[in-house]
Amino acid sequence: MAEEQLVTFTLGQEEFGVDIMKVQEIIHIPPITRVPKAPDYVEGVINLRGNIIPVVNLRKRFGMTTDQESELSRIVVLQFDGKVFGVRVDAVTEVLRLDSQAIEPPPPVALGMDSHFIRGVGKIGERLLILLNVERLMAGDEQNEQIA
Amino acid sequence: MSGEETRNTGLDLEDFLEFYLLDSYEQIDRLSSGLLQLERDGENIALINELFRCVHSLKGSSGTMGYTPIVQLTHTAEDLLDRLRQGKMQVTNEIIDVLLATSDKLKLMLNQVEKRENIDTDYEGLLSQMQALIETGAVAQKSVSRRSEKPADAQPAEQTVAEFEFHLEPDELEEVNKALLQNYNIYKVRVDFAPKTMMKSVRALLVNQRLEQLGKVFKIVPSIEELDTSNTEYFHVLLATKEAPKDVRDDALEISEIAEVAVTHYSLSEQLEKHSLKSASILTEASETSSNQEKATAKETVKETKQNSGKPQDNAAGHQVHTIRVDTARMDNLINLAGELVITRTRLVKIAEDLKAQYPSDPLVNNLNETNVYFGRLMSDLQESVMRLRMVPIGTVFSRYPRLVRDFCRKTGKKIDLVIHGEETELDKTVIELIGDPLTHIIRNSVDHGIEAPEDRIALGKPEVGTITLDAYHEGNHISIVISDDGAGLDLDKIYNKALAKGLISSVREEMSERDIANLIFLPGFSTADQVTEVSGRGVGMDVVRKTLNDLGGTIDIKTRRGEGTSFIIRLPLTLAIIQALLVEVRDEVYAIPLSSVVETLLIKKKDIRTVGRLPMVQVRGNTLPLISLRERFDIPEDDEPREEVYVVVVGLGERTVGLIVDELQGQQEIVIKSLGDFLSNQHGIAGATILGDGKVTLILDIGTLIQDTLVAR
Repeated sequence: MAEEQLVTFTLGQEEFGVDIMKVQEIIHIPPITRVPKAPDYVEGVINLRGNIIPVVNLRKRFGMTTDQESELSRIVVLQFDGKVFGVRVDAVTEVLRLDSQAIEPPPPVALGMDSHFIRGVGKIGERLLILLNVERLMAGDEQNEQIA
Repeated sequence: MSGEETRNTGLDLEDFLEFYLLDSYEQIDRLSSGLLQLERDGENIALINELFRCVHSLKGSSGTMGYTPIVQLTHTAEDLLDRLRQGKMQVTNEIIDVLLATSDKLKLMLNQVEKRENIDTDYEGLLSQMQALIETGAVAQKSVSRRSEKPADAQPAEQTVAEFEFHLEPDELEEVNKALLQNYNIYKVRVDFAPKTMMKSVRALLVNQRLEQLGKVFKIVPSIEELDTSNTEYFHVLLATKEAPKDVRDDALEISEIAEVAVTHYSLSEQLEKHSLKSASILTEASETSSNQEKATAKETVKETKQNSGKPQDNAAGHQVHTIRVDTARMDNLINLAGELVITRTRLVKIAEDLKAQYPSDPLVNNLNETNVYFGRLMSDLQESVMRLRMVPIGTVFSRYPRLVRDFCRKTGKKIDLVIHGEETELDKTVIELIGDPLTHIIRNSVDHGIEAPEDRIALGKPEVGTITLDAYHEGNHISIVISDDGAGLDLDKIYNKALAKGLISSVREEMSERDIANLIFLPGFSTADQVTEVSGRGVGMDVVRKTLNDLGGTIDIKTRRGEGTSFIIRLPLTLAIIQALLVEVRDEVYAIPLSSVVETLLIKKKDIRTVGRLPMVQVRGNTLPLISLRERFDIPEDDEPREEVYVVVVGLGERTVGLIVDELQGQQEIVIKSLGDFLSNQHGIAGATILGDGKVTLILDIGTLIQDTLVAR
């Protein structure tokens, strides 16, 4: 029986999950330096122990309304293929295991956000977890558009 | 040829693979640059011998590694070179061509070995070509035995033709080598029998026994068994001993019926070189005999010769440069750490300053400051040394161009002389890796569009052979690389018209200086080439050249004169990672400007700013200075209170300057350049980022792209 281990977090009313193998760390929100002319969902860059990584505002990325920062807001630092970036979340809930059986493919109708980022939906009891496709959160090529 | 055949003993050879590749690439480079020189020089026996040794060495080591295709190909090339060096054949263009083609093929095969691919076996064409040349050469001469005692060309320096040589097997060479490293002398002892001596083999045996008491006898030629049946009146012994030659001779002469004994020092450097896997060509190395030592010393000489560009050099002749191979990852780590040290030191300085302000006359605080100053000096030294680790002479890049130009000339029928200066000028390793392509592109252009055809040049009263000059030198904290030719120069009219036609510019011709027009060729989508030739126009335009150079923090400029020639001047910063910067503030955002680009700072009144076209400008000492508002460029909201005066940081690249309007100047600081990461590295106007003492990220401005944007009329 295959299963996945996920880190779950909330954005507004929704709960999301990402593959734990792609989570490098979870940190408090440090000062974020704005990067001019970057895509609007890129909040800026931060200093992570000497390395500079971009931070994505997931609400903006998913086309949701932006909200106030709360005490529970964190940055989840993700990595894939050696590339590192962070995403701002409202709160981190837990780490859990999910049976592959409990995962359904993404629904045809978008859940109020771009289904491009969703790789599936997980069910735990009454909870619905939107499973995210980490690689797509920070699409490489889009960044290189010059607004000359 | 399947993969299995290319490795015979599997595991052991893997260790040698790296070393084999390094050595073999070395040999091939020497071979091809030597061939080019041979083409220029005509006959040059010493050079041909050198080339022969290269190929022979390559054959030997490839044989040991089991790469049969390489052995096959080198064997025929060796054959050809052998005939050349014996004077049985003359050097012709055809021979040079086929040998160059062979060295290319060999390089390709080495690449395949490196990538663990199967080695190409389609070199039939080359083999038959070489064999044909050998045949026609052989017809003109009777074949002579290879190692004759009579000098074929009266070249006293050439041992293989005139003197007796021992031909040692690899294991025998190992033995000799070990003896050498233990400080034994190696002698060639020639023993002549008295005339009509009987039982020569017995005598030889006695001599052997006597010599064995003095040291070690490696070889006797002809062997003792053969002595009786052969007609020879003498034999040679290869001896290792610590005795002096005279003593050896006296000892040997005591045996009856020995007429004469000649003892001479025997140099094995040639043969040891050929079996480079197992030996050290430095005979003076008198240290431990561990195999690591052997490997290390051989690697040293290989590394040293790699530094030489173009000319084949003798290993043992040049001075010894002691080097060590280091994993670049480790070096980068070291450089990172040095960078972190710089940042931390800056914080320390700030804290010390604050302390000083609070406790101005406290002796402890003064002590701290003193130590800080000293620490600062140490840091600078450390930084410099660490940066030096990554420096590589530009000669390694320049060395490929003679061949390139030669090939271009053959293809286009033009006659061009390539002059290279400043090969020792050192650049950071990353820069070296990236600069090859832009340089190649510019040189191609020079050959294709710059230098005229020989007939045209003569008609214009120019020398038939065109000249392209490559020069590299330090200038302040920059490196300048200049590529100039004495060709036709840029056709400014054509360039302007083409740019106009493609809608790339809208300025009036009179407003643009010659320089501006020349720089139009760097615009994307530009090319005045009517046809894409085989030589240039591969889709790598001048715009990519400029972009690559800008990415490296450098610039490129053009000087041209119609009918006289064109010069491309490339400027690159010396150090990449740690620079001095000027910190500026716009509203509450801080930006860093590389100090090397800062010309001066001004305080001007807002009302002095005029707008010409759509660009704001200001008059400074009689000259117009175009301005860029960072606030506007970076979408920073306006100040709540309007200002009357603003600061302008005048930045320049080459001779072009622009003023950046900022709110405040914070001061000068040393910063460590960090990349913006995989996702954000292409932001216009931003070169990178740094982390200041307070831990916050500050963006570094990319002066190059900022300035370029002002050129293209918006």
